[in-house]
Amino acid sequence: MSKPHSHLPLTILFMLAWRNLWRHRRRTLITLTSIAIGFGLAVLFIGIGDGSHNSMIRNAIKLGEGHITVQPKDYLQAPANHKYLSDGLSLSAKLNELNVTGSVAARISLQVLASTASNSVGAALEGFRSNSDQRQAMLQPQLIEGNWIEAGDHRGIVIGDGMARKLKAKIGSKVVLMAGKQGGDSQAQLGRVRGIFDSHVDELDDYLILSDLQFAQYFLAGEGAIIEQAPVTRFAVFLDDPDTMAYWKAQIKSVIENDLVVALDWQEMMPQLVQFIIIDDVGNYVFLILILIMVVFGIVNTVLMSVLERTREFGLLRALGLGRQHLLLLVFCETLLLSVLAVIIGWVVGGGTHWWFSQHGIDFSALMPEGTAMMGTFMDPVVYTELSWDRVTQLTIIIFVTTLLSGIYPAIKAARVTPVEALRT
Amino acid sequence: MALLTLQGISKCYQQGELQVNALNDINLQVEEGEFAALVGPSGSGKTTLLNIIGGLDTPTHGRTLLNNTDITGLKEAELSNFRLFQLGFIFQAYNLVPVLSALENVELVMVLQGRSAEEKRERAEHYLQLVGLQDVMQRRPSALSGGQQQRVAVARALAAGPRLVLADEPTANLDSENATALLDIMHRLSHEEKTTFIFSTHDPRVMERAERIITLHDGKIVSDECHQRHDEPTV
Ligand SMILES: Nc1ncnc2c1ncn2[C@@H]1O[C@H](COP(=O)(O)OP(=O)(O)O)[C@@H](O)[C@H]1O
Ligand SMILES: [Mg+2]
Repeated sequence: MSKPHSHLPLTILFMLAWRNLWRHRRRTLITLTSIAIGFGLAVLFIGIGDGSHNSMIRNAIKLGEGHITVQPKDYLQAPANHKYLSDGLSLSAKLNELNVTGSVAARISLQVLASTASNSVGAALEGFRSNSDQRQAMLQPQLIEGNWIEAGDHRGIVIGDGMARKLKAKIGSKVVLMAGKQGGDSQAQLGRVRGIFDSHVDELDDYLILSDLQFAQYFLAGEGAIIEQAPVTRFAVFLDDPDTMAYWKAQIKSVIENDLVVALDWQEMMPQLVQFIIIDDVGNYVFLILILIMVVFGIVNTVLMSVLERTREFGLLRALGLGRQHLLLLVFCETLLLSVLAVIIGWVVGGGTHWWFSQHGIDFSALMPEGTAMMGTFMDPVVYTELSWDRVTQLTIIIFVTTLLSGIYPAIKAARVTPVEALRT
Repeated sequence: MALLTLQGISKCYQQGELQVNALNDINLQVEEGEFAALVGPSGSGKTTLLNIIGGLDTPTHGRTLLNNTDITGLKEAELSNFRLFQLGFIFQAYNLVPVLSALENVELVMVLQGRSAEEKRERAEHYLQLVGLQDVMQRRPSALSGGQQQRVAVARALAAGPRLVLADEPTANLDSENATALLDIMHRLSHEEKTTFIFSTHDPRVMERAERIITLHDGKIVSDECHQRHDEPTV
């Protein structure tokens, strides 16, 4: 043994650490329980947040312009009636060739002035294939009066209850829709109210006028479009699997995008909704930080207490020939094991809680009597918690790193023990 | 050359305004194989001296030469290794790691020394047998009596194969029967294993089992005499 040095094999290190962890069984169990409960709550809160946000997003996409929208390039910045896709026919053919797994809806959006004998209000005329569009699926069940627009009904319109009140319109009422033309003239078409819906989303109820695509195309014709080319404002692409959005967006871009036409995803179409969700998430992160602080205190308290009451033992081990680094490692291993256990138990509790609420949902309708509408969309009143794999890894890493960081101080404390002082006590 | 040479060892503690001279110019030589007692009243400096010999504490002045090494010049990590391979320690109480069995406690030091699994198991069992604990090897310290725990500490110290074993009042927490029994075991093993022992005590019945008695008073050696043991009444 020319230059002898000490060995502390990992197996022995972990064996010591594991046994030390269970010296105060009750204390360790209490710590683990509190971490697990905190973690379960964090998973639940984040699951509720993600669940409600995803519900809002799904509804916003259904009510709005799909996962991916194909429309004139500058439409989003400055919508105008004269901005439309004049050759809807060939664009539609190109989109069909892609065989998108989902549906493609042709739509026309126009800013109009709606007038009855009693009143005039600004409105958004939305023309679509009235018997096959997502909007039908969303809004037909919300009809409170009258009927949906039948196929081939060129004059029928459906309006929200807010609009109906302002216009004093009833089923069968005539409504004149007037739109400015690019040149400065104006054009008008006559619509007849077939149905009135109440979506509880004020932006829709007060402002929306629904019609068949053909009715709206009359206005585009007035702007100079050729009806035979099937002019539209946009194509809304609804995907069966939202996770394929990036792929389909790229595909669609590659075939249709040019100087005049763009393909945008829902995040680009609804930046305010994205903002809202980010801000709302901050609340969940604050909660998560509070939980983490609790976890840090739990671990520091448990490990530090056990370090302080073992001062003598550490002194003994140092006298026997363990180096400072061994004590540092030993205490750090104890934290590591505690943190692995905490993460496992935390996931059992958090995962279980999440699973239960993902199946049974949480009914928020009592908490939100004025309805769950916001940002032009709404949240389903019963929220089913959602947890993506990204969240799972994110939470695991956060909790693991936090617990390990909280082990640093007690480990240093243990390494600082000097045998003489420790043994004198 | 003596196994241990202390040259002009002094230790001062600063306690506020007060300066405590725990040790004052200690000169001492201990030869290989000696079984020496360090005696003196409480506060005379026994613990301080043993700690300095063991490299747990550093003297204010003077040098400690142990097995031809000036340990006062060693760095902390070197001292740690020096203790591991050259020294055995037995303290007054709480000598053992509570989460390890008697056998594992004895093995622990040999684990650190890097001995093979078979070797350390064989040696641990051998030494536990020598101290009469073959039947309780698997027990944790909490399931052992005070006397048994001290015997485990003796087995641990010797199993590691040290040059010098330092024992600071190893019998202070034992009744006189257990105390003399422990001393007899230590004495027997010291001879069988040719291992040098220095132990401190203020118990007259314990010190009379030593072959050499070094008496400390107020941090000074006041007497140092060889002693004829009356052999060997109990085992
Ligand atoms: N850390 C310390 N600080 C101050 N004084 C100390 C310290 N350690 C020991 N002493 C003093 O040194 C003297 C010798 O103590 P010690 O070596 O423990 O004696 P013994 O072991 O013989 O009882 C005593 O007066 C004690 O108070
Ligand atoms: Mg003492």
